[in-house]
Amino acid sequence: MAEEMRFHLEQRAADLAADGVPGEEAHRAAQRRFGNLGSIQERARDTRGWCGLERACKDFRGALHQLARAPGFTVLAIGTLGLGIGANTAMFSVLNGILLKPLPYADSAQLDRLYRATAQQADGHFSPADWRDFQRARASYGDAAAYAAGHTSLSDPGQPAEMAYAGRSSLNLFSLLGIAPQLGRDFRPGEDTPGRDRVVILSQRTWTNRFGGRPDVIGRTLRIDGEPHQIIGVLPAAFNDWRHLGMVDFFRPLAFTPEQATDRLGTSLRVIVRRTPAHSRAETAGFIAGFGTRLAAEFPAANAGSTWRMVSLQTTVVDRQGPVMMKMLIGLSGFVLLIACSNLANLYLARTMARAREFAVRAALGASRAQLLRPLIAESLLLSLAGGACALILALWFRDWSAVRSTGENGEQVFFALDGRVLGWTFAASLVTALAFGLAPALFALRLDLNTTLKSGGRGATGGRAHQHFGRSLIIGQFALAMILLAGAGVFIRGLHDLNHRRTGWESERLLTGTLLLPAAPYAGPEEISAFHRLALERLSALPGVASASLSAFTPLLNWPDTRRFHVEGRERPPAGHEPAAAVNPVSHHYFDTFGTRLLAGRPFLDRDRAGAPRVYVISQSAARSLFGTANPIGRRLAPVAGDNLVWGQIVGVVSDVRSIESETGPVALQIYQPMAQDPQRRNELAVRTTGLAPSSLVDRIRTTMAELDPDLPVRRLQTADAAVARANYQLSVLRDILAAMALLGLGLAALGIYGIMARTMAQRTDEFAIRLALGATIENVTRMVLAAGVKLALTGSVLGLLGAFGVSHLIASSFPGMPVHGTGVLIGTTLLLIAIALFACWLPARRAGQVDAIAVLRAE
Amino acid sequence: MAKKCDLLQGTLDMLVLRVLSRGELHGWGIIQKLEQLSQRALQVEEGSLYPALYRMEEKGWIEAEWKVTENNRRAKYYTLTRAGRKQLETEQAGWDRMTAIIAQVMQSA
Repeated sequence: MAEEMRFHLEQRAADLAADGVPGEEAHRAAQRRFGNLGSIQERARDTRGWCGLERACKDFRGALHQLARAPGFTVLAIGTLGLGIGANTAMFSVLNGILLKPLPYADSAQLDRLYRATAQQADGHFSPADWRDFQRARASYGDAAAYAAGHTSLSDPGQPAEMAYAGRSSLNLFSLLGIAPQLGRDFRPGEDTPGRDRVVILSQRTWTNRFGGRPDVIGRTLRIDGEPHQIIGVLPAAFNDWRHLGMVDFFRPLAFTPEQATDRLGTSLRVIVRRTPAHSRAETAGFIAGFGTRLAAEFPAANAGSTWRMVSLQTTVVDRQGPVMMKMLIGLSGFVLLIACSNLANLYLARTMARAREFAVRAALGASRAQLLRPLIAESLLLSLAGGACALILALWFRDWSAVRSTGENGEQVFFALDGRVLGWTFAASLVTALAFGLAPALFALRLDLNTTLKSGGRGATGGRAHQHFGRSLIIGQFALAMILLAGAGVFIRGLHDLNHRRTGWESERLLTGTLLLPAAPYAGPEEISAFHRLALERLSALPGVASASLSAFTPLLNWPDTRRFHVEGRERPPAGHEPAAAVNPVSHHYFDTFGTRLLAGRPFLDRDRAGAPRVYVISQSAARSLFGTANPIGRRLAPVAGDNLVWGQIVGVVSDVRSIESETGPVALQIYQPMAQDPQRRNELAVRTTGLAPSSLVDRIRTTMAELDPDLPVRRLQTADAAVARANYQLSVLRDILAAMALLGLGLAALGIYGIMARTMAQRTDEFAIRLALGATIENVTRMVLAAGVKLALTGSVLGLLGAFGVSHLIASSFPGMPVHGTGVLIGTTLLLIAIALFACWLPARRAGQVDAIAVLRAE
Repeated sequence: MAKKCDLLQGTLDMLVLRVLSRGELHGWGIIQKLEQLSQRALQVEEGSLYPALYRMEEKGWIEAEWKVTENNRRAKYYTLTRAGRKQLETEQAGWDRMTAIIAQVMQSA
């Protein structure tokens, strides 16, 4: 272009020279004629297409310059964007990791889970006999696989015994899911018969952690529960997906003894079906429900009142509280973002107002609307990019935190990967945010009346009434949202605190608990188990510092999952399946002392309540009330429902009700205890109450004692009961931490927002204050005026937010029925806190009102 | 020499296209030609010509090519494209109609 124009100039000069104008003169004349070379080039460039890019670069350079000139604004805006969108991105990555990402199975849309609902348990499982019946009946409706998981002990010679989470699956589980072992082979037909079932397929995690990922692991033996098993395969890493079976360390085949195969009472099998396209989903679901009804009619003793249903596998990755938690997380992080947005809008508004004069001048000099807008948009884009980057850093940090926070006992982690979807979300969100909240005030600015702005001199930047209204409604909205956030978090924190400190019917001071599992090989029958129990309790009680020790099937910490139906002597028998059901806990005889469960009547279990002795029961207070009303239950007899040969046992005592610390359960079920010696269990909860000593100091001594008894026996999760409680509700505590962080974030942003707007108002009204002071107002008057204005905004917002806060606390109360919710107290506290924060945020700028030097300001006018 | 006259708004494109329809020319040549054809009555500003040229090039009406002039200088020559020819016809037709209408109004009023 330059060359072309130079050519033109020279031609003109030559032309003039030919007319007789001297050389130098000719050049100058040519220049004169041509005009401003640079400006013409610029105008020419404007008409070219690629100049869009060039101009964009120029705009961005300009925007960078502008932003660098206002570092306070830039840092605040990027920080606000980063925090708001970061919170959102983190929550979106959770949603993405849990619900959006497809399961790692082949054609997983065709996969469904089956559940068996009973009165006690909505998501119940299946007994081996039911499963076998279903296998025979399902015929053309597709394929089905079953699995069960539980704790086992791993004990290689020369290594300390460990507990592992082990699955047993039907032979076809992996082929049904469409997963092939990455190493070795799948189960083979015939390996589901007892005796031939000592083969094991490792998860990728176990392979890496325990065997260092060595390929020669195939064919080696692994001692599970004292029995040697041959390693035949390693599952691919995809199977580590924590959303399903990924936390299982290894799988063995399900192998039923003839006795087990006909069992209808022990329900531990989970069932997955792969539907065939031959039948619609509704048809298959209908068949499943019909089959459940048939079983209930055929085997009322085990199945009366139970129903079967089919649920898409994808939705089963979260428990029933999951979706509510997800909605809460996404919703509340949306609130944080909204607060951040309105902060941004206020910041931008202030900045645009401050530059209103500049815009007015430029518009008056002929800048087009587009020319005025472009740098503003460029600034918004830059800010959104930087904000998005900050948000990503925040999200990465959250990912690491959640991985560490969720590390389980076997080293398994829940990992929310930041994939393309999350990245897209982040930048889309920051772009929309920055444009919507950068552009809106920019448009506002362009609507300014040029004349007014120019006429009003330097003070034109106050903006009209409408702008102030806008800014104030933003602050009110912010406080409303902050109120909802704070109240939600507050209710949850308080509820979880109360839940974790609820000790209904037991005490946790000076108490240690742990789990141990007796392997089947050395402890074959009830005699061996009971002998071990007696020996273990004897040794443990003899340890110095131990007040009492007990073994039981369950502890009061968690719900007791097993319920049994009972006949009551002297009562008309209800139809089969409608007998009263109670949670049964077999306990050793010092159990009540150890847990501090109070005996209300009768006697506790004694050493003489052994296997051969008459059967005895201790029942809970509410069981006594429910079964016998006001009559004395001591001496009455109960028998578990089991065919015609009823085994009666006498009620010898009544103890207080025990309520678990779990959040899901509502009312307390009937609770019945029986002596461990009369129903010996392999899986035991060990509990030790110490005398005065700090319980944790006893942990090592208990471990040594147990190891002396049986070196192959791992004691798992040996810790104080309080630690166990915290661990039990740990998922909720992660949720609590997230909610608390978001509430703090929201509160901080809202405080920043109100501070910003008050500071600006102060700056704009300095003249007014000076006049007021000059006319005799005291400094207190002026300060109070400013404070009152701020608090009014905060109060209005908080009151509006109260409505939402009630909604959130309702939501929490209904999703966590076991959790105590104290709405009112928390709401009052939250309102006070918000007002206090608002007062402080307003007081900082209001302080300056007192420092206004009336004379100086007025003289400057 | 006729009295000098400013270019009528919006006619520069048409004039340039028309001049180029006779054969390729460089920017300087276009100005020379326009002045010559109008017997120096039309003064075309360089500041208007070059942006107009680039704009028309962008629209695909004309094409540019660096060539060597008869006195051995490099210059950018513009030629009309097929689209440019069409555009010229459209503008010419529009112009004819417009002048006819204006003439009619001026005479009958």
